[in-house]
Amino acid sequence: MKRKLQAAAVLLVFGVLKLPLEQRVTHDLRTMRLVDEPLHLGVKGNMGQIGLAAAFGGLRGLIATIFQLRAHVEFTRVNWAQVDKYYGFVTQLQPRNARYWEEASWHMAYNAASYYLYNQELKPGLRGQLFHDYVKRGSDILNEGLQLLPDNPRLWQKLGDLHWNRSKDFKAAGDAYWNSFQHGGLNFTERFAAYAYAQSNDPASWTKGYAILKKLYNEKKATPGLIEFLKMLEQNLHIPADQRISDAAPVRKTPDPQAGPQR
Amino acid sequence: MSEASPSSAAVSVAPVRFSPQRVWTLAYATMTQLMRMKILPFLLLFCVLVAAMGFGFSVINPEQQLSQFKTMSLGVLQIFSIVFGIVSTALLLPKDLEDRTLYTILSKPVPRFDYVLGKLLGVLMLIASGLVIIDAVLSLILWVQQSMLFDAAVAQLHTEKQDTPEVVAQMREIVARQGLTWNLHWAVWAIFLKAAVVTTVALLLSCIASSTLFTIVITFCITIIGHGHAMIREFVLQPNLSGTSLRIVSFLLAAICPDLAQFDVVDSVANGEIVPWGAVYEMTGIAALYLTVYLFVTHVVFVEKEL
Repeated sequence: MKRKLQAAAVLLVFGVLKLPLEQRVTHDLRTMRLVDEPLHLGVKGNMGQIGLAAAFGGLRGLIATIFQLRAHVEFTRVNWAQVDKYYGFVTQLQPRNARYWEEASWHMAYNAASYYLYNQELKPGLRGQLFHDYVKRGSDILNEGLQLLPDNPRLWQKLGDLHWNRSKDFKAAGDAYWNSFQHGGLNFTERFAAYAYAQSNDPASWTKGYAILKKLYNEKKATPGLIEFLKMLEQNLHIPADQRISDAAPVRKTPDPQAGPQR
Repeated sequence: MSEASPSSAAVSVAPVRFSPQRVWTLAYATMTQLMRMKILPFLLLFCVLVAAMGFGFSVINPEQQLSQFKTMSLGVLQIFSIVFGIVSTALLLPKDLEDRTLYTILSKPVPRFDYVLGKLLGVLMLIASGLVIIDAVLSLILWVQQSMLFDAAVAQLHTEKQDTPEVVAQMREIVARQGLTWNLHWAVWAIFLKAAVVTTVALLLSCIASSTLFTIVITFCITIIGHGHAMIREFVLQPNLSGTSLRIVSFLLAAICPDLAQFDVVDSVANGEIVPWGAVYEMTGIAALYLTVYLFVTHVVFVEKEL
């Protein structure tokens, strides 16, 4: 009995001493982005037993993958509400994984939105409304992800793609591409930011777009698309003739080329 | 009359010192004992499962496939190592008692600490061997899959006339980040550290309890609580929250259980995060601390336990 009490005393003393150490190690690992923050209670409540097991069991990644596979099954059944629900769990379980935010948004803004847009069984007005709602949902998912990962160039790029291709909000697309480039995105995001600004209805955005394109032109990085948009902006912004570029406008090879991202 | 007589020398037994050689012999014997429990076919089955998983996922993009493969296989590996560590440790002492092996060993000049340490090392050696084998298989599959997926992705880009150097470079970077890197081995190391801590807790409980089932159930409970340790600790350290009784219970849980979430780098590795040396040192250091203290407490309990 005496030995057991001694053992309990050692455990307790060690327990008290280890708490600050554990707190420090956890803080360090969270700073290194290796260990996740605890889950929100609301999510655990929604997911029931399996969610609790995931929250406490250190198997968040595994459970997220299983939910992702279930979402994929629902995707093949075109059950968009379920896809959204499962991806909600996936993104909550793995909030620092940009890929999950991207996929969740892609399913909503592209797959679900297109499904409703081309669904002949629905009234045209409703089709348009559902398309709009799902594009908005996709955009909301990306924005939610960007609140947690504001430095992620890929999420900014996908937001730019979404605004360009789906909601046709070129000012927002330009801002998103520009943010992507500012956070280390690929070079084309800088160019696409300018293209998007050029197509917006906002003169202030045209000025931003013109500045970017002129800089790239001066750096000898001109492409046919860049020259086309630059000439368009020179016209819209009434740039004096002597400051305009000397290149001829490129000849389009196809009736309606779509400069910018393709999905 | 300064020399002790033969009879008195026989009565005062010289203390037996700690012997690494003896501990190694016990550890090796424990490993052999566990190997006889048909662990190898299970490992083989696991390798086949991993291989099937590697090529069985639906592909939306290569990055997704590689990440899913890593998450699934490392997750299963984690479950395997913890379950194996708990169950085998919980079975060891009762089995030795049942077979009377324990009495045979302890009737010889073998200190009880050597026995406990030998048993623990035997289990840990077997877990480590299993993890090394599976890590090798996992690495091989990941490397093959990585090459195949990159080639397929580039071919797809070529078909779509999107194979600009910039896009191909981005694809290469994505596939390389999700493919075989040193981080995968650090994740396996973290899994081993977690399994080692859980195994030591199981050994401690096994020395206290008389029932195998009790040891297994309580160790699983501690494992689950250990994963939520950060939440409990942060609750305890909050100055203005809740009643005294709840705080005392939380404090006891936080003090007794190890924080196992500190070893949960698997998800981050599957997401392509880099594990710095600092993180490896911290994880290894805290695991070593847990092992030392829990082993010491085990010794304190076991040294005078009536068998």
